[in-house]
Amino acid sequence: MKKTPTPDEAPTRHPTEEPPPVGASWRNLYAAVLLNLAALVVLFYLFTRAFR
Amino acid sequence: MRALDWVVLLAAGAGIVVYAVLKGRRTRDLDDFLVADRGQHWHRVALSIMATQASAITFLATPGQAYADGMRFVQVYLGLPVAMVILSLTAVPLYHRLKVYTAYEYLEGRFDLKTRTLAALLFLALRGLSTGVSLYAPSLILSVVMGWDIRLVIFLIGGAVMLYASMGGARAVDNTNFLQFLIIMGGMFVAFFTIVRLLPSDVSFVEATRVAGKLGRLNAVDFSFDITNQYNFWSGLIGGCFLALAYFGTDQSQVQRYLSGASAAQSRLGLLFNGMVKVPMQFFILFLGAMVFAFYQFTEPPVFFNPVQLERAREGARGPEFRALEGDYSAAFAEKQRAARAYIDALRAGDEPAADAASRGLQAAQERANGVRAGAVEVIKDFEPRPNDTNYVFLNFVTHYMPAGLVGLVLAAVFFASMSSTASEWSALAATTVVDIQRRLLKADGSERYYFISSKLATAFWGLFAVAFAQYAGQLGSLVEAVNRLGSLFYGTLLGIFLLGFYFKRVRGTAAFLGALAGEAAVLYCFFFTKLAFLWYNVVGALVVVTAAHLINPLVGSTKKN
Repeated sequence: MKKTPTPDEAPTRHPTEEPPPVGASWRNLYAAVLLNLAALVVLFYLFTRAFR
Repeated sequence: MRALDWVVLLAAGAGIVVYAVLKGRRTRDLDDFLVADRGQHWHRVALSIMATQASAITFLATPGQAYADGMRFVQVYLGLPVAMVILSLTAVPLYHRLKVYTAYEYLEGRFDLKTRTLAALLFLALRGLSTGVSLYAPSLILSVVMGWDIRLVIFLIGGAVMLYASMGGARAVDNTNFLQFLIIMGGMFVAFFTIVRLLPSDVSFVEATRVAGKLGRLNAVDFSFDITNQYNFWSGLIGGCFLALAYFGTDQSQVQRYLSGASAAQSRLGLLFNGMVKVPMQFFILFLGAMVFAFYQFTEPPVFFNPVQLERAREGARGPEFRALEGDYSAAFAEKQRAARAYIDALRAGDEPAADAASRGLQAAQERANGVRAGAVEVIKDFEPRPNDTNYVFLNFVTHYMPAGLVGLVLAAVFFASMSSTASEWSALAATTVVDIQRRLLKADGSERYYFISSKLATAFWGLFAVAFAQYAGQLGSLVEAVNRLGSLFYGTLLGIFLLGFYFKRVRGTAAFLGALAGEAAVLYCFFFTKLAFLWYNVVGALVVVTAAHLINPLVGSTKKN
């Protein structure tokens, strides 16, 4: 069993990091998750209003 | 239960256990046992994460929550997608680069041994106690509704999980979680479409939905700001984000799921998928509960959904009074049904003034029914101080109205939900026990095989502990409730420690440790002396840890690591 690792730096994006298995880039995927959340909030608002 | 339900339940149960054991048999070494050889694809990571978070109580209590209080509970999850993005950017690449087995290993490298041990012990204490409760709670509901012996239910769930989790570790748990979650969601979809089909033939799905909305059950979002109420947009987005950061970033039962990803990219995508799907999933489960509510506007519900307490009230000293209240409730229901149909007729005629008048009548009828129910609950309080039937609403509907075969499927889904979250918890507890306590503090020079066997034994130990705790949980009374709240009392502190590690390089171990103590004191103060909603405890805890550590750091800044 290996020894406890020592982080020599705070988490940063590595230039060699793997591209996402789906989607063009990680930036696009993060934006998609946040836009999806915003769209859901708008839909929930419209849903609440429609059935109030 | 009918014969077909038994066939479905037993076949699904036996099938999943055989599948889990077959998957677990391939586990060969410690890496395989603790992190599934870091070889899982993102879709398995994603569904294992979701299966771990969604316990049986999620699927039993959430529809009941919508039935009783509407859909506003969905807002608790609004911060989760933001947290998934933050963790994908920070924790995932770091944990993968360091190739840790547990989140707490990272803390020793970044701070010192005492900070790592504090976090590991907090996790073991909290998760160790709560795993017993998470086994007990659904077993109690199943035993009450189905009339089964609770000890048998606990033994069946606990025994099955212990078999495959101690044999195959994270590999068996992740693969089984994946399959179980597909069956769980399948069961929920079947339940939803059955409810829609069981609505009266002269009432459409949209009309029934409008009735539920008019009675306040479709209140999905509320933008008012109130820190004493966790069910609004701001509490959900901010407090929920901190809660999700703590749960997914520092709780080993979740960290272990994405440590098993084949790469940082696979783990990230698993978390991001959770961020996309979790909120709509919770919305769907709540909407399912709202539709159960709509169904019971046209089919008379019991005055109280816990069948054991209902029968006890009927047979008790105030039985005649209770039966009279049940009669009043029937009359109130008939009145409410007439009002609902009048409202639907006005909608069909496009007569807005009439629809408004009918909706006021409907709401007044609902108030009267609520008043009668409150009287019935007062009778139940004679022998049950805090009666609450929310957890029984959905299962009561399933067992009384769903067709043969589908009852077995939904029950299998509830069993699987309990098994998947329990298995993840035991596997994570074993990993922390062996990696952070045994190997680090008790025996550092063991062989790979020694720790492999130790991990299996630790899984079995936590399984036995949880089963034993669950067997006696019924006699522990309010302690069970206290254990349920413990998580929200400590998550903020744990998150604060990790935030210091990730983002504040200058802060050293002793400052982080003392900051954690200060953060915990602040959370306990909020708990005992304020009306702050529990979601905000995570914000308070994390911010106080970070602030206090910065204030303390100059005083102890020369402290070296470890």
